[in-house]
Amino acid sequence: MLHIRDGGLQTLVQDTGRHMYYHLGVPPSGAADRYSFLLGNILLGNPFDYAALEITLLGPVIEVRKKTVMAVTGAPIDIKVNGQPAPMWETICVQEGDVLSLRSTSKGVKSYLCVSGGIQVPDVLGSKSTYTLSQLGGFHGRKLQAGDEIPIGEPLPGVFHHIGKRIPEEYIPKFSSSLDVRIVLGISSYRLSDEGLKAFLNAEWQVGLESNNIAYRYFGSSVSFNPAEPPFGAGNHASNAVDIVYPIGAIMAPSEHELILLLRDATTGGGFVTIGTAINADLDLISQSRPHAKTRFLSVTVDQAIEARLQKKKKLLTVQQLLR
Amino acid sequence: MFTLPETRFDFGGDEYIYAEISRDMSEESNFKALAVTHELRKRQIPGILDICPSNSSYIIRFDPEAISAADLLEYLKEIDITKSNPSELNLRVRIVEIPIWYDDPLTQEYSRRFQERNVVRDPISNFELVMRLNGFSDKQRFIEAHAASPYLITMMGFIPGTAWEYPLGLAKEQIIQTPKYISPRTDTPGRAVGLGGAFTVIYPLQAPGSYQLIGMSAVPVFDQSQRLPDLQDSFFLARPGDIWKHRPVEEAEYRQIGRQVEEGTYRYRIKHVDFSTEEYFWDKTRYLKRLMEGF
Repeated sequence: MLHIRDGGLQTLVQDTGRHMYYHLGVPPSGAADRYSFLLGNILLGNPFDYAALEITLLGPVIEVRKKTVMAVTGAPIDIKVNGQPAPMWETICVQEGDVLSLRSTSKGVKSYLCVSGGIQVPDVLGSKSTYTLSQLGGFHGRKLQAGDEIPIGEPLPGVFHHIGKRIPEEYIPKFSSSLDVRIVLGISSYRLSDEGLKAFLNAEWQVGLESNNIAYRYFGSSVSFNPAEPPFGAGNHASNAVDIVYPIGAIMAPSEHELILLLRDATTGGGFVTIGTAINADLDLISQSRPHAKTRFLSVTVDQAIEARLQKKKKLLTVQQLLR
Repeated sequence: MFTLPETRFDFGGDEYIYAEISRDMSEESNFKALAVTHELRKRQIPGILDICPSNSSYIIRFDPEAISAADLLEYLKEIDITKSNPSELNLRVRIVEIPIWYDDPLTQEYSRRFQERNVVRDPISNFELVMRLNGFSDKQRFIEAHAASPYLITMMGFIPGTAWEYPLGLAKEQIIQTPKYISPRTDTPGRAVGLGGAFTVIYPLQAPGSYQLIGMSAVPVFDQSQRLPDLQDSFFLARPGDIWKHRPVEEAEYRQIGRQVEEGTYRYRIKHVDFSTEEYFWDKTRYLKRLMEGF
């Protein structure tokens, strides 16, 4: 069991997400930086979908109530066990009574604390992930607070033989303040003017402050809409479309000066003009970008998007092989 | 019957196919979206993960590692062309009553709080704005107009349990329409009734939002506490294809229903019916009248 002394800014139980309920408005949720989350489970020899704690910017202080093995991955964060520094991207042993403190991240946004045997909270609609907007899943549908007692699984057989295992350097992601996000254009991009579409692709956008697991907002440039009348039933503003179910990664333009990109806790439907969709392989990168980070959107084909996805999966499987 | 323009397909990144039946909203487009997605669900194709009808479109989420994107697109096109005859869509649906307190103090307060994000900056409530934009000067007449039609659940999305409602049996010019906020509100009270475009939605829980708020539903549309007998099998009140009927209530009844909901004793007024799109299009007014009898 993990006894929470201080929950930090926002510490949530997450796994690989919730599926099959999208048509009822339920987004997948799950680890925002899936790649870092999966590397944590790979280090521990956990199944890929075992739940972990997702830490945002300022981490928790936790008293460990069971001897086990852990690993911290994701955004670089300062870790101490009983006041002594401990490494990231490496399996560490913790004893009953140890106090683990994860304080501020120096780059990126999300760090992951993975535990052998996983975090054990009940499944809600098939997943342990926390969806805070509807208080669904995770630990009572909310972020962790002082006094919470979080159940963890039994350490898996053989895990104590693997203490000190490390993710090879070249597989550790970089956390940059300037990034390229690959997107597949389409959906209602025809509602932008040619100049608007060019401006969207050529401009350098900045991540806005109101960004979180639901959506990222971007400012700093502008797009322009076609002068044509919005279609019947859409509402009469140039940015209004007849409401659709949005893909995860959808990039909308609610006005000429703002973009909204939906992440894994997305509001799953709505009626803003949608320019395109960020590719799955880049969602991790987006959710690790901080407010004011510079972002460019690059148009790619579906084949390129699938290729990027397969490359990323191959990387994970290679690490899994290397650590075996 | 009727004819529809050819569906336009687009990929959404590497996991989604978006099918736009029409750019405008129409009952026909939605019945087609329901028919195609219904057929697809029946077929249980491995690699297809989510099947979501939307208002005049639908989206499919798939696993590109399990099924070729190009093959799936071809497959969908074939179903879209050959299996989208709404006459095949005779569904057992439910008619559900939703009691609403229109123009209540809470949505008035939210109108004021987020005024600077709205389409006009005049100090009027969302309710007054919608009335004005639709040419109503009398509050009661507006409420009657909004509550008179049965509404089809055309799509679900946004946050869990949000259902889009589109009025059945009206000509386009009779439908109440409204623009959405320019920049979404960061907050909306749970159970608030909103209008955007030609649609009505009820916010299941506190959430951001961009629809104009015109009242409060006395009953929840999403509940995971499993207190209410009618929401024990599913957290979600709505199912695409269902029909909802709004009933205006005053403050006293709104509060009384609220207490029953709190105590877990409230029973939704629900009637199960067989909906035939063929009969509907044959004579909409008469068919709806028969369907809604005693409701």
